[in-house]
Amino acid sequence: MNARLVYLTLAVLLALWVLVPIFLIATLALSDRASVFAWPKGILPQHFSLETISFFFGVEGVGKAIRNSLVVAGLTLLFALLLGAPAGYALARYRFAGADAYRILILMTRAFPLAILAIPLSVQFIHLGLYDTPLGVALVHTALALPFAVLVTGSLFLGIPKELEEAAWTLGCSRVQAFVRVVLPLALPGLTATAIFAFVISWNEVFAATLLTLRERTLPAFLLSALNDSPLPFRFAGGFFLIVPALVFIFVIRRYLFTLWGIANR
Amino acid sequence: MAGIRVQNIEKVFGRVKALDGVSLEVRDQEFVVLLGPSGCGKTTLLRIIAGLEHTEGGRVFIGERDVTALPPRARKIAMVFQNYAVFPHLTVYENIAFGLRMQKAPPERVKAQVDRAATLMHIENLLGRYPAQLSGGQRQRVAVARALAVEPEVLLMDEPLSNLDALLRLEMRAELKRLLAESRTTTLYVTHDQVEAMSLADRIAVMNAGRLVQYDTPMKVYQEPADTFVGGFIGSPPMNFLRLPIEGNRAKLESFALELPSPPPGPEVLLGVRPEDLEAYLEPQPQSFPAEVLVVEPLGPHLLLTLMREQQPLKVTVPPDFPARPGQTLWLRPQPGRLRWLEPESGKALASSA
Amino acid sequence: MRSERYIPYLLVLPSVLFLLFLFAWPLLEALLLSIRGAGGEWTLENFQRMAADLYFKDAIKYTVLLAVVVVPLQVVLALCLALLLGGIGKGRDLFLYVWTIPLGISDLAAGIVWLAIFTERGYLNSFLQALGVIQEPRLWLSYETPAILFLAVVAAEVWRATAIVFVILVAGLQLIPKEYGEAAEVFGASPWRRFWKVTLPLLTPSLQVALILRTILALEVFAVVVALGGRNLPVLAGEAYYWYNAYQNPGVAAAYSVLILGISVVATLVYLRLMRSRQEAAV
Repeated sequence: MNARLVYLTLAVLLALWVLVPIFLIATLALSDRASVFAWPKGILPQHFSLETISFFFGVEGVGKAIRNSLVVAGLTLLFALLLGAPAGYALARYRFAGADAYRILILMTRAFPLAILAIPLSVQFIHLGLYDTPLGVALVHTALALPFAVLVTGSLFLGIPKELEEAAWTLGCSRVQAFVRVVLPLALPGLTATAIFAFVISWNEVFAATLLTLRERTLPAFLLSALNDSPLPFRFAGGFFLIVPALVFIFVIRRYLFTLWGIANR
Repeated sequence: MAGIRVQNIEKVFGRVKALDGVSLEVRDQEFVVLLGPSGCGKTTLLRIIAGLEHTEGGRVFIGERDVTALPPRARKIAMVFQNYAVFPHLTVYENIAFGLRMQKAPPERVKAQVDRAATLMHIENLLGRYPAQLSGGQRQRVAVARALAVEPEVLLMDEPLSNLDALLRLEMRAELKRLLAESRTTTLYVTHDQVEAMSLADRIAVMNAGRLVQYDTPMKVYQEPADTFVGGFIGSPPMNFLRLPIEGNRAKLESFALELPSPPPGPEVLLGVRPEDLEAYLEPQPQSFPAEVLVVEPLGPHLLLTLMREQQPLKVTVPPDFPARPGQTLWLRPQPGRLRWLEPESGKALASSA
Repeated sequence: MRSERYIPYLLVLPSVLFLLFLFAWPLLEALLLSIRGAGGEWTLENFQRMAADLYFKDAIKYTVLLAVVVVPLQVVLALCLALLLGGIGKGRDLFLYVWTIPLGISDLAAGIVWLAIFTERGYLNSFLQALGVIQEPRLWLSYETPAILFLAVVAAEVWRATAIVFVILVAGLQLIPKEYGEAAEVFGASPWRRFWKVTLPLLTPSLQVALILRTILALEVFAVVVALGGRNLPVLAGEAYYWYNAYQNPGVAAAYSVLILGISVVATLVYLRLMRSRQEAAV
């Protein structure tokens, strides 16, 4: 019993360690300008105000950056699913020569530093007309999200018994019909979670986005390039705005993420 | 309705030959059971007939149509899977209706068929539920109803009862038998449970190691097994096999000799006799041989005795009040007319036994 | 029906083609870029320029140092979190969610969050002042105090990325059948011994994955450092960025990225070696 209390206390402390900094940045973003510069700062929020946030939105380029982030993340989500889900299905349902090699290829993309891809691509994109476009950034982000999409959809489809498809075949379905009528409805929650996670990966990515854009920056790229010249309220509001959507999404899909990462809910 | 005919089916998985030239025919409206131990190929054969696996040689005919190259949906079959494969995201009604919807049947026909199938399986009150809300037995009924609803030419069943608990299995077995006899659907049923096979089948196809070993009515398979494998597999406890020396042209057992139905195969012969066909006596009897009791198991309807004779173990069943004790010597008399003779080397039965 | 054989290949093809263009080819290009000079000839001058640069030594030093400090910290912390999770009955899901929150946080955002703490008028200084330790706000993030800046980056990175290791370890722990621990308990092993002799060895594959992944990511550290200290703490990825953007020199930038790749490969090989000999020793 005593041990459990110790565990619980430690757990709470560690939870606070995660939550408090987020709380602090939220406080700063949702307070007035003066509070941002105030010293010393109290832990509790002093004045709730939208001044800092509206200042942030008022800065030129922010609106466009947010829009670009949305477009890029949306494209990434689409591409990652369209490329990844069929591959995941193939890995789950078929035993074919090269499956292992394919898996290794997929894992290797995660193992390589992004810098080593972004720099040459950035050079090539100029030739291809993809430089400084949301599409270009989305392509790189898709490469980032693809391993996740393939492996996760793979284990997703593995979790749907092949017997269900076979039953559908005996009842008059072609392969495609069986997939659409039986597999897809069952896989939908997991696919949605995968899509959302791909979205978050893209939304958060900063290095490649900065390298590949100039005028059409995503939000992280915009923030980074303006970072050291901008006043604190701007930075804090920007950071807060980067965090919030991602947090909301992760909360919504947390149960699927845990299953997808292989963590069972007891 | 239609029959099934397979010719020379071959299937290899990696290095293992799962099916080695199997040929078989199921007559129209017949209920045939594919029986055998795990790995004998029975499920593979069923799946090949269903079109879920390819055969590497040989052909499959359903109702005189060569369906070898056709996908499952073109074969006019219905299948019940071992794990039921009931669609979790559809209600019971929609599950049963699934095949009909794929056929684009008009809604009235769908409703009529679903109701009929649900009534047959006693699940009319579950139509609005989802599979997650059902017990295993109920899901199994849904699976069967779903197969019956499309009124297939041929019904294939892959160990549908093995995931049920013992009592439920007994109930469902009887129900299935009655149901399918009434509907006269040609059925091919796979199981490893020989009791199920004996109970349900018009004919049993016994398989072992990818080959068809014996294909006959249950009683024939029981009383006249084609080889030691069948004799040992069917019946619980399994058939006893006694190695007996040959003297002259007859098998020598203790002090007496038994006639063989055909010329002896060699210096020894196997006598196959079931535990219930050995009468046990406390005193020596004519035409009997002694054996020592090792274990006495009171099973309820009878006692199961394990005895030893000349290093060969035997099982015998006796009435429950029989005074048997470990260490005792009993005299066993094989019942004439219930004996089976087999070759010791190959295990195959000698031609035309008594 | 025979055409079914090609189905898996067809399904996999789009992603393979995609990765060929957006992974294999840039990889090659980066290597080529780094060894090509202004006139297109083969040369090592990019590497030479990189090595001669003012910030080069510091960049390597700090990048490797960061990885060496941060990764073990994160692994130990994640292990504690993972084991703690097993000890909590109710509320396990809540803690699981809270502890994985940082996974959704961009490294730039994490840097900004900890900026709010370490900045001159930030929460750390306020806290210290409340305790009476200091009177005036102190500068923690200036280039005159690289050690403190380093620690600030460590704090931010540990806060942000421990969750990555945590998730891998939790999944790995679940794969360990509890019968092993129970058997050990029946045979009289204490919790500590159970951990060392049963849990840890069975967790090695997950640890291996977590270590390799986390180290490779740690060597790419960038946005956190920039957010906290600009160029006051040079790191390899940051230098690559500056050479590409500010100095408009893709060649040297590529040289930096090849260097990062090289260190990553070496680190991975070292891990694989170490883990293998551990496993063999255990057997």
